[in-house]
Amino acid sequence: MEYKYKKVMVIDDNQIDLYIAEMVMATTKFAEQVVCVSSAKEALSYLAPLYENPEEVPDLIFLDINMPEMTGFDFLEEYQHLPENIRKKCIIMMLTTSLDKDDRDQAEHNEFVRRFLNKPLDRDKIAELM
Amino acid sequence: MIAQQTYQALHDAYLEKVKHKSDRLMNYFLVSFFITGLLLALFYDTWLVAIGVGSLALLAYYSTKLLLPRSNAYQYMVSVVFGLFMAQFIYQMHGLFEMHFIAFIGSAILVTYQNWKLQIPLAALVIVHHASFGYLQYIGYDKIYFTQLDYMTLQTFIIHGILATVVFFICGLWGFQLKQLNERQIEQTYEMGRFQEEQLQRKALLQSNEELKKSNKELDSFVYSVSHDLRAPLSSMLGVVGLCEMGAPDPFMQKNISLLKTSIKKLDGFIIDILDYSRNSRLEVDRQEIHFDEILADISNNLKFMGADDQRKVDIRFSIRNGVAFFSDKSRLSIILNNLISNGIRYQNPKVSDPFVEVSVEVSGSAADIRVRDNGIGIDKGNQAKVFNMFYRVSTNSIGSGLGLYIVKETVDKLQGAIELWSEPGKGSEFSIHLPNLPKGREVPANGLGARVNGRDVRANDRKA
Repeated sequence: MEYKYKKVMVIDDNQIDLYIAEMVMATTKFAEQVVCVSSAKEALSYLAPLYENPEEVPDLIFLDINMPEMTGFDFLEEYQHLPENIRKKCIIMMLTTSLDKDDRDQAEHNEFVRRFLNKPLDRDKIAELM
Repeated sequence: MIAQQTYQALHDAYLEKVKHKSDRLMNYFLVSFFITGLLLALFYDTWLVAIGVGSLALLAYYSTKLLLPRSNAYQYMVSVVFGLFMAQFIYQMHGLFEMHFIAFIGSAILVTYQNWKLQIPLAALVIVHHASFGYLQYIGYDKIYFTQLDYMTLQTFIIHGILATVVFFICGLWGFQLKQLNERQIEQTYEMGRFQEEQLQRKALLQSNEELKKSNKELDSFVYSVSHDLRAPLSSMLGVVGLCEMGAPDPFMQKNISLLKTSIKKLDGFIIDILDYSRNSRLEVDRQEIHFDEILADISNNLKFMGADDQRKVDIRFSIRNGVAFFSDKSRLSIILNNLISNGIRYQNPKVSDPFVEVSVEVSGSAADIRVRDNGIGIDKGNQAKVFNMFYRVSTNSIGSGLGLYIVKETVDKLQGAIELWSEPGKGSEFSIHLPNLPKGREVPANGLGARVNGRDVRANDRKA
């Protein structure tokens, strides 16, 4: 069975949630490679240099909202300044425990955000994304 | 009532001021009249009359004022006294025609009291004086010196009378108008004061409202972060449990994991219920256009993974009829529908072959009628009145927090609506909700219509019911 995506990035300050996402994606053959970063800053410094070799840019990013220092929405602010060849390749999905209507509305109105998912990432949700 | 008293106080204070000022003036005028009498005595040696009549007049005035300080009888006495002085001066000057003008001076002075009735005693006295003295002189009695004319025709007398009447009338009118004018001014002053006070009150109210909003907002963000911080580890647990499930073929482990999962979901649901309850009770109703199809699609999407593992998927059906736009609070409506639909899934009847939850919405200009019907296990007649109570659970096996329908009831109340329950054990339940259409600008009805069960009213907090 083929992998759905070559490379998926997960941005989350919670190590357990990173682990869950990684394991679920590995066992469901959702992603061949999972890049886990524990802050939005780290994600940006990972993505920024990739405009030279866009084939290394993740196909999909799972983004948490509630993170210290820089929230998921702060990340999206910075993300729009990244080179176009990076932005074009990436699909962003919010992955959060938040049930807040405002969070949801804000995410759905963001041009880069494809979907708004609630944690945890499990087999059923992955199946739906397949 | 208080405002009325304040106005009355203002009015009384003003009258008191007018009276006080006028009374002081009267002292000066009356003394001047008396002195004038003395001066006039120089012409024809009328000292006896000047001192006698003048003193009697002053005595009459001051004794009235002293004996009846609370009544304004002394003011009428002033009017009489002015008439007497006129008569005295006419006599003292042996009927000098110009002395008749004294009556006009008196009439003008009386305007200061702003009471037209004070003109009456003076006018009456002048009429009586003129009529009697005129007649006396006419029949030949010449010691009363009414006029210097040898012969006063009736025509002259009538013209004299008319002119005097006109003066008294005009002075009375000025007094009356002055009073009216001043009363209007008092009213305006009072209105102005009240307006200023109202402005101040409104400002204070706005400020406290603002503070309340701020503390509500703070509390809301507190509840938000607490619930997030409580739920985040739960979702991690659920995630890890999910991983265990994937790698544990052992049926014993599978069963334990499934129990663990149910417990975590229950706790999570409880936190969500508390969050919903807290937000419903504190946040203002946020009116916006409602798209039932979107809300229902969202809910059924979210509820897809709900339910215990051994439960079947429940068919969720919608039928929406909305000719006109419907306005209400979207998040509250979601809370209501989410709770009712998830109840339908949670309490499905294992004996039926096609478990379903059917939501039908009918929108009119004034309201939306929503019916959520299922073919689930239903609720016993005896328990139906209690389902809207806080923490009431139908059976110990209930999976819920006991808050769901209580929150539904509270939320419907907040939207000024009504909810009704019909249920038959083994056949299913039907909740019908009537929500008023609340476009911006339309006044919200004062109270919710409450909850009804099989046609009877119930109260959400009546726990003994």
